[in-house]
Amino acid sequence: MTTAATQIDIDRDKGDFKYEESHKYDAGIGLTEKTIDYICDVKGENDWIRDFRKRALKVFESKELPTHWATKDLENIDFNKIRYYLAGDKRAKKSWDDVPDEVKETFERLGIPENERKFLAGVEAQFDSEAAYSNIKEAVAKDGVIFMGSTEGLMEHPEIFKKWFGKVIPTGDNKFSALNSAVFSGGSFIYVPPGVKVSHPLQAYFRINAENFGQFERTLIIADEGSEVTYMEGCTAPKFDTATLHSAVVELVAMPGAKIEYITVQNWSSNVFNLVTKRAIAHENAVVKWIDCNIGSRLTMKYPGVVLKGRKARGEVMSIALANEGQHQDTGAKMIHAADETTSNVISKSISVGKGRSTYRGQVRMPKHLKGCKNNTECDALLINSDSRTDTYPAITVRGDKNYVQHEASVSKVSAEQIFYMQQRGLSEAEAMSLSVNGFVNDLTRQFPMEYSVELKRLIELEMEGSVG
Amino acid sequence: MEAEPGTDESIRCAFQSHIDSLNNAPEWWKAFKRDAFESYLKAPVPQKSDENWRFANRKGLDLSHCDFNSDPNDLDTQSLIDKSRLTTSQSGAFAFADNQTILSESASAALLEKGVIWCTLSEAIMNHEDLLKDYFMKQAVDLGSKKYADLHSAFVANGVLLYVPKGVEVDAPFYAYNWAVSKEASVFPHTLVIAEEHSRVHLVETHLSSSDQPSLSCGVTHLFAGVGANVDYTLIQGYNEETLGFQINSNIAGKDSQVDMNSVVLGCKRYRAETHGQIKGPGAHIDMRSLALTDAGQEIDQRTLQTHSAPHATSNILFKNALKEQSKTIFSGLIKVDESAQQTDAYQTNRNLLLDSNAEANSLPGLEIEANDVKCSHGATTSEIQDDEIFYMRARGIPKDAAQELIVYGFFEEILGRIEDESLANYSRKLIQAKFRGESV
Amino acid sequence: MSASLEIKNLNVSIGDKRIIKDSSLTVPKGEVHAIMGPNGTGKSTLAKALAGHPDYEVTSGDALIDGESILELEVDERSRNGLFLAFQYPMEIPGVSIANFIRAAKNARLPDGEELNAPAFYKELYEKMDMLKIDRKFTSRSVNEGFSGGEKKRCEILQMAMLDPNYAILDETDSGLDIDALKVVSDGVNALRGPGLGALVITHYQRLLEYIVPDRVHVMYDGRIVKSGEKELALELESKGYDWIKEIAGNAA
Repeated sequence: MTTAATQIDIDRDKGDFKYEESHKYDAGIGLTEKTIDYICDVKGENDWIRDFRKRALKVFESKELPTHWATKDLENIDFNKIRYYLAGDKRAKKSWDDVPDEVKETFERLGIPENERKFLAGVEAQFDSEAAYSNIKEAVAKDGVIFMGSTEGLMEHPEIFKKWFGKVIPTGDNKFSALNSAVFSGGSFIYVPPGVKVSHPLQAYFRINAENFGQFERTLIIADEGSEVTYMEGCTAPKFDTATLHSAVVELVAMPGAKIEYITVQNWSSNVFNLVTKRAIAHENAVVKWIDCNIGSRLTMKYPGVVLKGRKARGEVMSIALANEGQHQDTGAKMIHAADETTSNVISKSISVGKGRSTYRGQVRMPKHLKGCKNNTECDALLINSDSRTDTYPAITVRGDKNYVQHEASVSKVSAEQIFYMQQRGLSEAEAMSLSVNGFVNDLTRQFPMEYSVELKRLIELEMEGSVG
Repeated sequence: MEAEPGTDESIRCAFQSHIDSLNNAPEWWKAFKRDAFESYLKAPVPQKSDENWRFANRKGLDLSHCDFNSDPNDLDTQSLIDKSRLTTSQSGAFAFADNQTILSESASAALLEKGVIWCTLSEAIMNHEDLLKDYFMKQAVDLGSKKYADLHSAFVANGVLLYVPKGVEVDAPFYAYNWAVSKEASVFPHTLVIAEEHSRVHLVETHLSSSDQPSLSCGVTHLFAGVGANVDYTLIQGYNEETLGFQINSNIAGKDSQVDMNSVVLGCKRYRAETHGQIKGPGAHIDMRSLALTDAGQEIDQRTLQTHSAPHATSNILFKNALKEQSKTIFSGLIKVDESAQQTDAYQTNRNLLLDSNAEANSLPGLEIEANDVKCSHGATTSEIQDDEIFYMRARGIPKDAAQELIVYGFFEEILGRIEDESLANYSRKLIQAKFRGESV
Repeated sequence: MSASLEIKNLNVSIGDKRIIKDSSLTVPKGEVHAIMGPNGTGKSTLAKALAGHPDYEVTSGDALIDGESILELEVDERSRNGLFLAFQYPMEIPGVSIANFIRAAKNARLPDGEELNAPAFYKELYEKMDMLKIDRKFTSRSVNEGFSGGEKKRCEILQMAMLDPNYAILDETDSGLDIDALKVVSDGVNALRGPGLGALVITHYQRLLEYIVPDRVHVMYDGRIVKSGEKELALELESKGYDWIKEIAGNAA
C-alpha cells in the first residue's frame, strides 16, 4: 500500500486576511543611510544607536549571502524592493480601547485579547514595525518585572539595556543579524529581578499586514539571579504574491540560577522569508529552554543556540518543523559549551509533506579545557509523500575531559500498516495520517504549555488535510 | 595571499620531465595527463568557505617541497620484497617502491585462462587501453579533493588493474603493496578493480613507508562490482607520521552486487580520505568500515558519501576512531537518497573514543533524503573510556594501562573481526598494538 | 599473623555522605561469611570500598589482608594480592573476548616477561566452564556483552575460579537469578570452598544461603554491623523480617 502525493492548498485561513494600509510613518522602499536616519528620527533615538545602526548597515552590505552552505532561494530576496519601516503610531497603547479599530480587530480575530485575559501575565502586539499594544499585569509589574518594547527599553532603562544589547549576538554574527541591527524596530525588552518567578507567560504577537515589507523586531530578555520567566511568541501574515521578509534578533541572558523558557509558534504565510538569529547565554546553574515550532513561512532559517557559560548551566532546544509543499524549514540548534559540567539536550522532529523540505543543522562544541560536559541530540524526520525531502547536517567537535556527546538521527515514513489499521477502525486516511503525525510529535508537544500544544495540534491537522489522496 | 602550492616553476618542470619519461606511452595517455595537470593548476587550494573542508586544517597542504620524480637509488629492494609477503595464500601480488615495480607475482595460469587480468598500470596502458578508457578515473570527485585527484592523474605512473570476467570466482586475495621510500618521495598508488557479473574477488592494498622520511601519497582506488558481483577490499594505511596522504576511493555497486571495504588507518601526519559508495542498481549492498588510531600531531580527516540512486538497496558505514595525545579526527559522512531510491536501508555510525583531553574528535554525520519509504539513520558518539569499565578490569588485577589498551583493542574488534583474511586481521592487530605502545613493527 | 580478611572500624563516604559507619568484621581464610541486610544499607558500598573503587572514600578505619593493610593499594594491586569481587552489575566490555580478558588478568599476575602457557590455560578454562555449565562458545564472546543476567553471574564465578583468589566478595550474586542458575552458581562457589579461600557473601535474601551455607552471618543496617551469629541467624532474620533488625539497631544506637 502506498500513499500517493497530491496537490495541497496550504490553509492558513486564520492569518490570511488584511486591512487597507494607513501608515503614518513610512521609510520608503529600499535601504540606505537615509532609511536609518528616518527610523532614528521617528523614534527619537540617541546618536549612539544611530551610529550602531549605521555601522551595522556597512556590515550587512559587506557580508555575502551564506549560499555556500544555505539554500540558493536566499538570492530571491530583493533587498531594494523591501519597505523597512512602517508604523501607524510610534507608541504602543496600554489599553485595547486606544488601539485603532482595524488593528484591534486584527488581533481580536487572532484571539490575542482573549488569551491575555485567560492565561497571560503580559502581552505585546506588534503590527508591522511597531507595537500597537503593550501591557503587563499590575501584579507582575509590582514585582519589578519590566516588559516593554525594545525602543522604550533602550530609552527608559539604558543601564540594563546597553549592558547586554548586541552582546549575545554581535552585529556581525551573520548577514541577517547585521540587517536587523541596522533597522530593528519593535520586539520585547524584559527584565526579571533576582528571585522573581513570573508564574504566567509573557506573550508577544507579531503581525505583518503590509506588502513588500520587512519586519525586524529585536528582543532582549534578562532573567536576573534565580528568577524564572516564560515568553511565548506567535506570528502571522496575510499571503501576498511578493516576498515578505522577517528577520529578528533575539538575545536571552540567564543569570546564575535563572530559568528562561522561550516558546515560538511560527505560522507565517508561505511567502515569508523568516531568517532569525536566536541565542542565549546561560550562567552558572541557569537553564535556557527554546521550544521552537515552525509551521509556516516559505523559508525559515533559524538555529536557536545556548552559550553555556557558567558551571552546570543547561541548554535545551525542542523543535518541531512542518514543511509543506513549497516550504523549506531549515532549522536546528547550537550548543556551545564553555564551562565545566554543562549539559545540553536537543530534540528535533520534522515532518515533510508533498515536496516540502526540512533540514536540521546542528552544532555542538566542547573545547579542550572543559570537564564533565554532556550533550544529547536526537533528530527524527518523518516523510509523508514519496517526493518529500529531509536533510540532517550536524557538526560536533569534542575535546576535553570526561565529556560525552551522543547524536542520533533517523528518517521514517508513516507506516502504511498503521494507516490501514486506523482506517479499518473507521478513520479517513487524512484523519489517520494526522493522528499519526501528531503521535510522532506527541512526546515533544506534551512538554509544551497546554494552550500551545492544542494550537499546534490544530495547525498540524490543518496542514495534513489533503496531504494524502 | 596564501601561497598556492605547486604553481611554481618547479612543478611544471617536474611534470614535463614526467611526460618526457613516458616516451613509449600512447598519445591519448599523455594528453589525458596534460589535461589533468592543467586542471590541477587551475583549481584553487581548499578554501575556508568550502563545506567539504569544514574543520580541516588547511595548512600543511603545501606540496612545493615534494619531489614528483623521485628516482630511488640505493633501494634495498630485497628487504621491501621480504616485507611484502603478508600471506602465503594469494592469487597474485605486486609491490611498488616509489612507484616502481619491485615485485610482480602474476595470477595462476588457471585464472589467466578464465580471462582474469592482473597487471600493473604501466602494462595496462600498453595492453588494455579499452578497459582504461571505460573505467580509468571516470568517477566524479565530489567530496572536495578534485584538485588532488587531478594531481594523481597527472603523475600516476603505476598501480594495479584487476579484471575479473563474468562468473569467475577467485578465492585467495590479490595483494598490492605500495611503499614510500625516498625523502620527499611522491607516490601515486592506483587500484582499479572491475568485477563483472556474478564474479567474486578480494583485494588487499597496503600503504607503508620504509623509512622515517617525509613523503606525499596521493592514491585513487576504484572498485566496480557488476551485477551480482562480490568485491571485498581492505586498505591498510601505515605510513610514517611525516607523510601527507590523500586517498580518493569510489565503490560502485551494480544490481544485486556487494562491495565490502575495510580501512585500517594508522599513519600520516595529515591524512585526507574520501570514499564514495555508489548504489547503482537495485538489491546492491555496500559496507564501508574504517578504524583509525591517532597519536600526537596527527590529523585524520575522513569524508564519506553513500549515494543511493536505485531502490531496494542497502549501505552501511561504521567508522571508529580512537584518539591518543594531541591528535585530531574528522568524520564527515553523508547519506544521499535520490527520489527514485525507495526501500533504501542506509546506516551510518561514527564512534570516537577520546584517550586524552587534548584529542579532538569532529563529527559531521549528514542525511539528505528525497524518498520517503526508507530506513535511514545515523549515530555519532564521542566519549572517553568509562571509569567503571576500567575499575572492573582493574578489579581483576589488570593494571590501568593494560586495561585501557585492552578496551581500545576491543573497540576496534568490531571492524577487525570483519576482515575475512585472518592473517591480514592479525597483521592489522600487530600494527595497532605497535602503534599503541609506540613500538616499531 | 592471622590469615584473614579483616575490617576494622571502617568508615566509608561517598561525597559528603557517610555510608559505612565503624564496621568491623573478620573473615578467616577457609570460612564463608554472609552479610545480610535491607537494600540501601551499605552492603555493596562495603564491597566496592574493599575493592578500591575511587568514588568510595575510606575516611577512617582499616581493611587488611593477612594482617597487611590494603587501603594504600590500587584496585589492581588488591586484586593481584588475592582479593576478588564478584560484581552485582558486571560491566560489558565490547570487543574483548572472555578468554582474552581472563588471560590478560592471569598474565598480570605473572612476573614481567613471563607469558601464560596457552594450551594449559585453555584446558583449565574449558574445565571450569564445564563445571559452571557455560557453553564453550562463550570463550570468544565479548565480556558480558549481550549476556543474560544469569550468564553474567556465571561469568563472574568463572573469573573467580580462574583467578584463584584468597578472599572473595560476592556482591548480590543471587540477584536476578532463577532457581536453576542459582544452583549452578552456588555449586561453582561451593566447589571453590576450602582451606585456601575466605569468602564474604553479600545478599538480601536468605535463599542463597540455603545453597552456600555460611559459617557465620552478619546483619548490616544503616552502615553498621548490628548483629552477628551462626548460620541460624539467617533463618531468624527471614522469619522475623528486617523490622526486627531496625529494633535491634535502634537499641544499639
